[in-house]
Amino acid sequence: MKGPQTISRFLRNFHVRKIQVLISLSSITITILAVVLVSALLFNRFSKAAEANAYLNLGQIIEQVNANLELYVSGMQDIFELAQEQINAASDIPDDRQLGEQLGTILNTRKDLVSMALFTKGGNLVRGVPELPMRQNTKLTEQLWFESAIQNPGTLQFTPPHIQNLFKSDYRWVVSMSKSITYRDDSRIRQGVLVMDINFRTIDELSQRVGLGKKGYVYIIDSVGNIVYHPQQQLIYAGLKYENLEPVLNYAYGSYLDDSEGEQRLITIQTVKPAGWKIVGVAYADEFLTTKKELGGFLYGFLLAAIAVILIINLYVSARISQPIRRLERSVQMVEKGDFGTNVYVSGAYEVEQLSKRFNLMLRRIRELMDQIIQEQEAKRKSELDVLQSQINPHFLYNTLNSVTRMAELGRNEEVVTTITSLSRFFRISLSKGNHIIPVADELEHVRHYLIIQTIRFKNKFRYEIQAEPDTLDCLTLKLILQPLVENAIHHGIEKSAEEGFIGVYARINGNNLELVIRDNGIGMTQDTVDKLLSGRLRSESGSGVGVTNVQERIALYYGKDYGLHYESEPEEGTTVTIKLPIVRPETPKIEGDES
Amino acid sequence: MKFGYWLKNGLLLLLFMLPLTASCAPAGNLQKGEKTTVIDMIVKMDRGDYWSTIKMGAEVAAKEYNVKLNFLAPENENDYKEQIQLMEHSIARRPDAIILAASDYEALGQVTDRSSYYEIPVISMDSEVASTKVKTYVGTNNYEAGQKAAERLVELTGKQSDIGIVNFVKGARNADQREEGFLDYVARFSGIRVVDIQYCGSDEELAYRLTRNMLTAYPGLDGLVSLSAESSIGAGRAVEEMGYGGKINMIAFDNPPEMLELLQEETVQAMVVQNPFNNGYMAVAAAVKAAHGEKLEDRIPTDTKLIDLENMLWPENQKLLFPFVK
Repeated sequence: MKGPQTISRFLRNFHVRKIQVLISLSSITITILAVVLVSALLFNRFSKAAEANAYLNLGQIIEQVNANLELYVSGMQDIFELAQEQINAASDIPDDRQLGEQLGTILNTRKDLVSMALFTKGGNLVRGVPELPMRQNTKLTEQLWFESAIQNPGTLQFTPPHIQNLFKSDYRWVVSMSKSITYRDDSRIRQGVLVMDINFRTIDELSQRVGLGKKGYVYIIDSVGNIVYHPQQQLIYAGLKYENLEPVLNYAYGSYLDDSEGEQRLITIQTVKPAGWKIVGVAYADEFLTTKKELGGFLYGFLLAAIAVILIINLYVSARISQPIRRLERSVQMVEKGDFGTNVYVSGAYEVEQLSKRFNLMLRRIRELMDQIIQEQEAKRKSELDVLQSQINPHFLYNTLNSVTRMAELGRNEEVVTTITSLSRFFRISLSKGNHIIPVADELEHVRHYLIIQTIRFKNKFRYEIQAEPDTLDCLTLKLILQPLVENAIHHGIEKSAEEGFIGVYARINGNNLELVIRDNGIGMTQDTVDKLLSGRLRSESGSGVGVTNVQERIALYYGKDYGLHYESEPEEGTTVTIKLPIVRPETPKIEGDES
Repeated sequence: MKFGYWLKNGLLLLLFMLPLTASCAPAGNLQKGEKTTVIDMIVKMDRGDYWSTIKMGAEVAAKEYNVKLNFLAPENENDYKEQIQLMEHSIARRPDAIILAASDYEALGQVTDRSSYYEIPVISMDSEVASTKVKTYVGTNNYEAGQKAAERLVELTGKQSDIGIVNFVKGARNADQREEGFLDYVARFSGIRVVDIQYCGSDEELAYRLTRNMLTAYPGLDGLVSLSAESSIGAGRAVEEMGYGGKINMIAFDNPPEMLELLQEETVQAMVVQNPFNNGYMAVAAAVKAAHGEKLEDRIPTDTKLIDLENMLWPENQKLLFPFVK
């Protein structure tokens, strides 16, 4: 149950375009190709060399056998010639006693000489050593040595080994050397056949001793293909074995590969010159070319091992490369799900490390920005709360109502009416249906009502002036930004001044900006005070509390850091505050414009 | 730092893999080298041309099939007790196969059966054994050999003739089968009478005496057949010494050198020659197959050849008649 699951999981996870798969497949393919190529080349090179070496070795072994045989056969040839000379020298062959002794001596020099005999052309024995009676029914004129000597007069003939069938003795395997010669019988010259039989044992032993691997062997055939020696001669005669002699007969020497028996066999051929015999070495390729097989086995093993090593290294390396990327991917997935808190920490390849570092930086930046947004939102909410507070400034209300009471007591009804009206207008605009953004006209109206109330309260201690360029009136502005500044101008500028005060409020377009300016001729401030004021470190204990800082912050929050307050102040001269705002117009006229 | 770590890991891996690479190659070689088959060959005797030729054939096959051959035989040809001992020792050694030329058909049956408990296949060679456990019998088709001898003898003597038989051991499987083959063939001819059958017990001397007695008892005998090497030597000597050479037609068995001389001197007209070399070779080849669990034919007969003066020195017969280069 577990097996198929693992396999199916593996298959699901297996993706051709995965880095791991890509790296593994490509490098495995390349290395395997390379290894296979190298192996094939090596194999080819070495096996050829090994094969050549095997041929060389075989050739040398056969050469050695050949040399031994040639030496042996030519030695016999010399003895034959010696015997022939003796016979030539003798005048009367059948009865020459000295000749008998001489031939006997020759015969005794070599243990493997079985017999020497001279026959007439009719097949009758003239002289023979050792002197033994003839067998019956020998049919010697039909024997191969006799026939070939008659057919090829003057040249020495060799027979394949056969059972000597001449004299009453043991049946022995012999090789016969024969030649038709002339001899003198009673001073008459006659034709006859001289035959010398050599025991085959020496040649047999020599051939048997040759080992060509466990199964390999040597055999000898004569020039027409009769078997001289073959370790499986009986099997061949019984038809249980077959030796393919045809191609062998075409070679005098050399070697070739034979697979007529289904097995590859290396055949090496040499010719024993005096006898015209062919020595054929048969070596089995699977024994003699073991180097090739061993090499093949080794290379095969090497190939497998190399592939295994490459595979493991590959999987390892590609895993090392792709694993961090996959981890990175998983981290990104977490972030995608909204967990910005996760810190991607990955080690791995340089590139991956860099990537994750950058990703971490990006993540930190996102976190910072998000924190900033949260802070800004909080600040906005706070300042709005402040504004809300300032909308119902109880202090101001109390003071104003106090003045109204006083005016009512004094019977200054007109002033009471004006004050109450203005107060009512003031608060309406303050609220302005909860909107934060109002037209400049409303804002100016708001500050005008404030100034009306304040001039009545301060018994015309100052004059005021409100002027606006007509273009500015429909521009939008944050509400309640002028009143706190005007309040400051009254409380901190004019109230403390002995002269008659003046407050001017102006709205104008300056370039791309809308500028609201409040100018007073009060006591003014030093530059130091101005700086403190703007950084919010200066705070008066009296006043609405909705001070300069609040105005500054709100403008910055809504319009950005480029906008805000600008103070120009000289002690004893007065202060000018310029509020810089973007020009924002309500969208409605535009839509109307589009419609028309 | 990182690179070093990688390098170290890679090197470790390589080091770990290297012995694997090295161990791969020899393992592959071992599989390819053929296993040597161990075969025990238990025969009746380790002397004599017949058994030596069997051994020679077996050795040729052993070389060809990569066999380690143990050639075992009791001192005496008829010593079946020692042969049983040899079988028991052999079973104890657990060879891959045993080749047995049983001295006694019945006596060796039990020990042959026992070898099958140890799952050692037994090949019966030359002489059969009374056991159903043998995988196959490799050897001369003795019945057919008997028939061949009869066929030639009838050709020589004509269809009106008296024939004597010198056999070796009554009850011996080979002897019985040869005799049966001979008699079955002869029975087709009403004019042919088998006047006497003697058993020499593989004793040349006894064969000689028995033949002499037979020739004395039946001086008009037309044909004589001897069904083993020993009986042939004895009978041949008797025929020659009593001057019956050429007068009586004689068919001999096997190819002792004495018989070949008699053949050449026309005392013996023909010989039925077994092929011990082939027996030995085929027995080992069959044993190798049996050791590898291959199914074998019930009998693997080897041919006999009828050798006469005409064909005795044909090249293909020389090696059969004279297997050894001396």
